[in-house]
Amino acid sequence: MARIGVFVCWCGSNIAGTVDVKKVAEEAAKIPGVVEAVDYKYMCSDPGQNTLRKMIKEKNLTGVVLAACSPHMHENTFRKAAVKEGLNPYFIEIANIREQVSWVHEDKEKATGKAIDLLKMMVEKVKKNKPIEDVRVPLTKKALVIGGGISGIQAALDIANGGVEVILVEKEPSIGGKMIQLDETFPTLDCSSCIMTPKMVEVYQHPNIKLYTYSELEEVSGYIGNFNVKIKKKARSIVEKDCTGCGDCWNICPMHKNVKSEFNVNLSERTAIYVPFPQAVPLIPVIDRSVCLHFKKGGKCQKCYDACGPKCINFDLQDEIIEEKVGAIVAATGYDLMENSLYGEYGYGKFKDVISGLQFERLLSASGPTEGVVKRPSDGKTPETIVFIQCVGSRDPEKGVPYCSKVCCMYTAKHAKLFAHKVHGSQSYVFYIDIRATSKGYEEFVRGTMENEGAIYLRGRVSKIYEDNGKLIVKGADTLSGNQVEIAADMVVLATGVIPKKGSDKMAQMLGISYDKYGFYTESHPKLRPAESSTAGIYLAGMAQGPRDIPESVVSGSAAASKILGLFSKSEYEVEGTIASVNKTTCVGCFYCKRVCAYSAISKEEIKDRNGNVLKVVANVNSGLCAGCGACVNACFSKSIDLKGYLDEQIFAEIKSLAV
Amino acid sequence: MEKMNDKLQNIAKKLLENKEVNLIIGFTKGSNPLRMRSVFITEPNDVSKLSFNAHCVQDLAVFLKKPEVKKFGKIGIVVKGCDEKAVNTLIQEYQLSRDNIKIIGVECRGVVKQNLADKGEDAVKQSTVYDKCLVCEVHTPLLYDELVESDEPAFEINGDIKPYAKIEELDAMSVEDRNMFWQKEFEKCIKCYACRQACPLCYCTRCIVEKNTPQWIETNIEETGNAQWNMIRAYHLSGRCIGCGECERACPVNIPLMLVNEKMARDVFEKFGYKSGIDINAKPVFGTFDANDFNEFIK
Repeated sequence: MARIGVFVCWCGSNIAGTVDVKKVAEEAAKIPGVVEAVDYKYMCSDPGQNTLRKMIKEKNLTGVVLAACSPHMHENTFRKAAVKEGLNPYFIEIANIREQVSWVHEDKEKATGKAIDLLKMMVEKVKKNKPIEDVRVPLTKKALVIGGGISGIQAALDIANGGVEVILVEKEPSIGGKMIQLDETFPTLDCSSCIMTPKMVEVYQHPNIKLYTYSELEEVSGYIGNFNVKIKKKARSIVEKDCTGCGDCWNICPMHKNVKSEFNVNLSERTAIYVPFPQAVPLIPVIDRSVCLHFKKGGKCQKCYDACGPKCINFDLQDEIIEEKVGAIVAATGYDLMENSLYGEYGYGKFKDVISGLQFERLLSASGPTEGVVKRPSDGKTPETIVFIQCVGSRDPEKGVPYCSKVCCMYTAKHAKLFAHKVHGSQSYVFYIDIRATSKGYEEFVRGTMENEGAIYLRGRVSKIYEDNGKLIVKGADTLSGNQVEIAADMVVLATGVIPKKGSDKMAQMLGISYDKYGFYTESHPKLRPAESSTAGIYLAGMAQGPRDIPESVVSGSAAASKILGLFSKSEYEVEGTIASVNKTTCVGCFYCKRVCAYSAISKEEIKDRNGNVLKVVANVNSGLCAGCGACVNACFSKSIDLKGYLDEQIFAEIKSLAV
Repeated sequence: MEKMNDKLQNIAKKLLENKEVNLIIGFTKGSNPLRMRSVFITEPNDVSKLSFNAHCVQDLAVFLKKPEVKKFGKIGIVVKGCDEKAVNTLIQEYQLSRDNIKIIGVECRGVVKQNLADKGEDAVKQSTVYDKCLVCEVHTPLLYDELVESDEPAFEINGDIKPYAKIEELDAMSVEDRNMFWQKEFEKCIKCYACRQACPLCYCTRCIVEKNTPQWIETNIEETGNAQWNMIRAYHLSGRCIGCGECERACPVNIPLMLVNEKMARDVFEKFGYKSGIDINAKPVFGTFDANDFNEFIK
């Protein structure tokens, strides 16, 4: 026989102001099976919880219903209290009479009636409750980090320093990501490669980090604690362990004029066998087989092979598939820049001296194509006037993206500042919509560019750029003065908008995590769970989540790492027991459940007789993957799936309690 | 017709002799010359029983769900275009392996309504065939291993007869009137479940109506339970029903079930662009979760 205790919470005046809590308790006491019903000012307080515990003990309760706030708030509080008295935590039910009643209704009488109805439903439900045990999942204490940019590097180092093995996968031949391409970084102007390369080297040398560069994720299966991943290690054509990085091979390669350097954003050339930049980690070249003469001309050229001392070049190496088992994954796949060609009026691609912000970084950089001397791509002259255009693609729902790329205001101010430092007497003009400089030291930084370096900021957009007599004529509006302006510039730098890395949507699908309409990965909760993806065991970091600057990327890498170290600090992972279970007797194996499961938690299971003959194939729920959403329950025609804690019988009892 | 039957019998004989199948499900002549019935053939010598004509109304795919048939393993089945869509759906829903079924498709020109045939009607005309034949897009089955071509000409459709005309009529009604219409129809239901038994896609071994913990559908023959049963069955078939019309034909109290099924099929096509039974690899419309869905609630 059920022995139910009912507690009606006032929540101060939050509930009691609109709901007659005394009446709710009186009505609850009349429901068969309810042994006692009380009201109390704050059930979540210590004395409130003690009242609950006392009644469980003294009245020997088999179930508890609290009429209180949303279970999101205090379900756990009350469950823990119940456990202390030896009651299974899933015998606590909450009728939400705050968010669903007092906060949304005004008429006290009707609100009280609704509160009583909700309470009745829960009493009928709890009578049908069954004890539920939480699911324990074993953990493989090894992490996979996808992406070797600053956020991925930070995540990998933090996890590795926590004593956990890490596999870092990077698509390019070297780690470093976009940050290693930058010159000096705002707002402190520390040189990017000076602060980045030590971290890259630390990754390479770390005993807990296994680094796969020039490699891509091929396949992911499994679930939190137990992912199986396949990594495709693309053929580098170099026997890595023998290479000394001496450079004899790329110095002799005849293909040195035809291939644009990705690292220098097309501002210089590279060879067919190359390292992307001198500080590359690992300092091991790769042969770009799409341009190498050996591969294109049937093996005739092998100059690099002849020049190589340790003979570590092997043209026959093939792609390799490496299988690894990991317990957690960080997706730090980074970003790309939008296509500037979308803006024909700016003449990108048409005029050589209209360049992107990232290209300007390379022109400023001491390791760049001009060794840090600002020179125009067209004729190599040092420009005296540069026009910077912000929001190229960003905040432009018509042609670009509606969101703000967040870093452009700051890097443009930095560009103007560095330009003033490098070319004395030069002049910068910045066309902007708004200036967004909201982090520590940012506003002062932009002010400094305006006031100390004399950059002229014009609020407005550029309508047209054309070439005239070796100059770029920039026509635009200065909306603050209301004037049309025309500037004869030597160079134009476009602050191009940020978009997710190409293929991030495919990556998300492979990982089974959700992403927004732009392709940025979405967080499990935008505020309270910013490091977690929608899938347990997969964490997010860096620009792959959305525009952010270096400090934020570092923080997000560390956040993902701390989540993983926290996860791995236990011997097993506990999942709430409210998951789906299949009645294998009645299941006919149509697998609509499998089709609708967003978590890939349902697989096929063969039921066999003692001779091993397959009798039938039924659905099986993987308790580690199931999130308890109930989509499968809905999809099942024969009602062969039930959700623990929300059994059909419980729902039915709730509905029936309302029948008059 | 004789040519068709010869070809049909030859195919069947070959399949049985070569042990490509262990059983052939087909049509044979019944005691009433204008009624055809199902026949199950396991011996090559028996193939002469196989026959096909415009009275082969039954959707033989219904037998594929039965354990006593399944135990034969490899099965050959004679199907019209509409029935073949049921085979496709069974494969799509993992109830049948494509490797275990030999589809003997028969080109069909339409089948004569049985109530007319019972009065002696033998001609295939727009006034004598079922509504499904008037809207049929699969006179030649979509998928088959063997095909028996028809030697009959297609019948003429001049638009005098509007198939499923009642649907538009019902659509035009007020909600109350429409409810009244269906209430009256469902009132007749005696819960014999013939509709379910005749349906090739009602293959659950435990139907939802038989689930009694809790009892979602009332089993007594009263208004509520009758409506519950018929509506839930309609929902379970939406996006799945292939329109063979067997439920309506099996109904002993003449509930126009095809109006519901056809209306559902039209709605599914209009809203999701999906037609059932076309492609064995298609994702069923109500079993589709797509990460590309631009619905905020999914993300």
